[in-house]
Amino acid sequence: MTPEPPNGRLRLQSRRAVLAAAAAGLGTALTATLSGCSAASGGTAGGVTLTFSWWGNDDRAARTEKAVRLFEKEHPGVTVRTSNGEFGAYLQKLATQAAGGGIPDVVQLDYRQISQFAGGEALMPLDALIKRRTIRTSEMDHGFLRTGTYEGGTYALPMGRGITGYAYDSAVYKKAGVATPGPGWTWQDWQRANLRIAALGLKSPDGRPFTGANDGGTNEDVFETWLRGRGRNLYASQTQLGFTEADLSAFWSFCDGLRKEGAIAQAKDTVQAKSTETSPIGRRLAAADFTWDAPFPGYTALLGEDIHFAPVPTTDGHQGAYFKPSMLLGIGANSEHPKEAAQLIDFLLNDPRAGDILGFSRSTPPNRKIAARVATTLKGPEREIYDYAQTMEKYGLDTPPTAPPPGDLAIQAAFKRGYQRVMYGMATPRQAARELIDEANRELRS
Amino acid sequence: MSTVSTAKAPARVDRTTGPRPDRGKRRQVRERQWPAYVFLSPWLIGALGLTLIPMAVSLYLSFTDYNLFDPPHWVGLRNYTEMLTDDPRYWRSVGTTMLYVVVAVPLKLGLALGVAMLLRNLNKGRAFYRSAFYAPSLLGASMSIALVWRALFNDGGTVADVLDTIGIHTGGWVGDPHLAVYAVVLLTVWQFGAPMVIFLAGLQQISPDLYEAAALDGAGRWRQFVSITVPMLSPVVFFNLVLEVINSFQVFTPAFAISGGDGGPADSTLFYTLYLYERGFTASHMGYAAAMAWLLLIAIGAITLILFRTSRSWVFYADEEGR
Repeated sequence: MTPEPPNGRLRLQSRRAVLAAAAAGLGTALTATLSGCSAASGGTAGGVTLTFSWWGNDDRAARTEKAVRLFEKEHPGVTVRTSNGEFGAYLQKLATQAAGGGIPDVVQLDYRQISQFAGGEALMPLDALIKRRTIRTSEMDHGFLRTGTYEGGTYALPMGRGITGYAYDSAVYKKAGVATPGPGWTWQDWQRANLRIAALGLKSPDGRPFTGANDGGTNEDVFETWLRGRGRNLYASQTQLGFTEADLSAFWSFCDGLRKEGAIAQAKDTVQAKSTETSPIGRRLAAADFTWDAPFPGYTALLGEDIHFAPVPTTDGHQGAYFKPSMLLGIGANSEHPKEAAQLIDFLLNDPRAGDILGFSRSTPPNRKIAARVATTLKGPEREIYDYAQTMEKYGLDTPPTAPPPGDLAIQAAFKRGYQRVMYGMATPRQAARELIDEANRELRS
Repeated sequence: MSTVSTAKAPARVDRTTGPRPDRGKRRQVRERQWPAYVFLSPWLIGALGLTLIPMAVSLYLSFTDYNLFDPPHWVGLRNYTEMLTDDPRYWRSVGTTMLYVVVAVPLKLGLALGVAMLLRNLNKGRAFYRSAFYAPSLLGASMSIALVWRALFNDGGTVADVLDTIGIHTGGWVGDPHLAVYAVVLLTVWQFGAPMVIFLAGLQQISPDLYEAAALDGAGRWRQFVSITVPMLSPVVFFNLVLEVINSFQVFTPAFAISGGDGGPADSTLFYTLYLYERGFTASHMGYAAAMAWLLLIAIGAITLILFRTSRSWVFYADEEGR
């Protein structure tokens, strides 16, 4: 027997003490990762508190806050608690909140979420509120309003009509002798432009070679536009992919080759890009980036007036871009204040002053009168994306695809990952494409 | 004190008052127990509501296709068979986690023991250094530190800049699939303070007489370390090893923050728990994620058991001496 150690000294001199400590450690195995998720809820004495959440950049956040403050001023007793986040984290948080029955009163949604959220009864049907004209839809395009419906009911309203595009530095294009990209420019033109820009031998602020563009290989939206230019879609149906291993491997080989030639951004810069600011174009490592019309004004705010907005390249003039709801607004199924929530939605979508404040921060407003009114006051980059939408409409676009299946979010992530493996030589384009298709089929099956 | 007796913790309140309680006394004891349970109730409610019931539900969900939105359907063992036979990323996440455990745990424990040995011989300022080295363990698990870590190891971050000046061009560890996992390893190793404090306490418990006797017999420092410190400290080493292995299998926050939540680049920081999280919260396959959690529990349990089995041959318990 050993004598008792003095007080406060360590006692681990038996097997049982270690075992007990180990058991305590094990017990946390199941619960450790799942802590830290909480649902938003509101309620202050007297007045009504609404919760409203969205994703987006600083410019959109500032404008949305301003519009919300105006709404509060006009509706005394109503307080709006806002929260916003980065897109990926936002979607995860919302899904968790939906499972717990606690999504915010007013919630910005992605096109991909509608069928899942409406089908899972996480959203409130809006038809009665629309009928009572608490939310007015008379100035909106009825075909476009269908994007927020599920099995005949309206569950969300589009906040904007967006389209993909290409933000590029016109000064660099001029220096490289590349013609201004028009709606019919092709992927071959794009390739030549990048090679020429790389050949200029420009340097980034940290002294590294300046390239033609961000690498679009990780970006499913770019692949979709490329694919549609070849007359196909991402999805043939809700359970089937619309492309083959050969299609995807051709696209990835194309990007991979250009990157290896130094014409587009390096792998490590592509994978470390988490926002416009940290992407190659934001760090002045590249002259262009694939993006959407709504975030485009953020590019000029960051990089100056030389940045302009062009279409994504085509295949022999066949344009793959299409108009899609940039984001939608809905009401949480368990909202305690559906009337006030509906008033906030109506205010954001239909009030001319809110329209002025929000501008085109969520692409072209769905309310025609507001879009036309705001368009006359638009300047600079916002005027440019408005004109861009008009040009594209005139150029002629294929019909939009049907709403993506619920597995699309996972497939989008797999897409990014697959090309990362290509970039780092961990898989050939064909192997990575095979892997993606297998994974996508698993997602679509379940 | 013997190690054989079975423990029945809460029922033995009154042992000290009499040699053997009779019937009436036993009832008295039972009557006097309820205040104890009242005071324990916050903990009991927590244990039930936050641990045991969720664990039971998670076991059930692991046999279903629960997706957060629709009611769960029973699918039997499908989640388990799919992850073991039809999911290359599952095995990738297992590989990454194993690599991490095998690299990070020995590094962390080695550093902890080394610093503890240095501090033991320090007479002045030991309390200060002990606190200073311990501080990262308190901070390290937080999201904010992980984000700072990401910023340090980003392209243009401090680490990349410092390495640049000495001619090593990494371009940011976070952007390199071969280095990203080591950024996570370093974050873990940096938190060596917790095992170090335990080592230090264990070292102080070794009787100076042993060293004195050994020195008189002419043992050098190395000999003293191998023949006295290591065997006397082995229960503490074992304790730290078990805890660190268990914790390392569950690493999540640093991997989540450093990869930006997706286990990238190219799945190089796809730790088991991160993949579990992604399956559950990005892809909405909660049933699959629950099945992953249970397999993790079983795996950690099995590894802990193996560690205990091997410990018989290398851990020296002073109180078992001569049995």
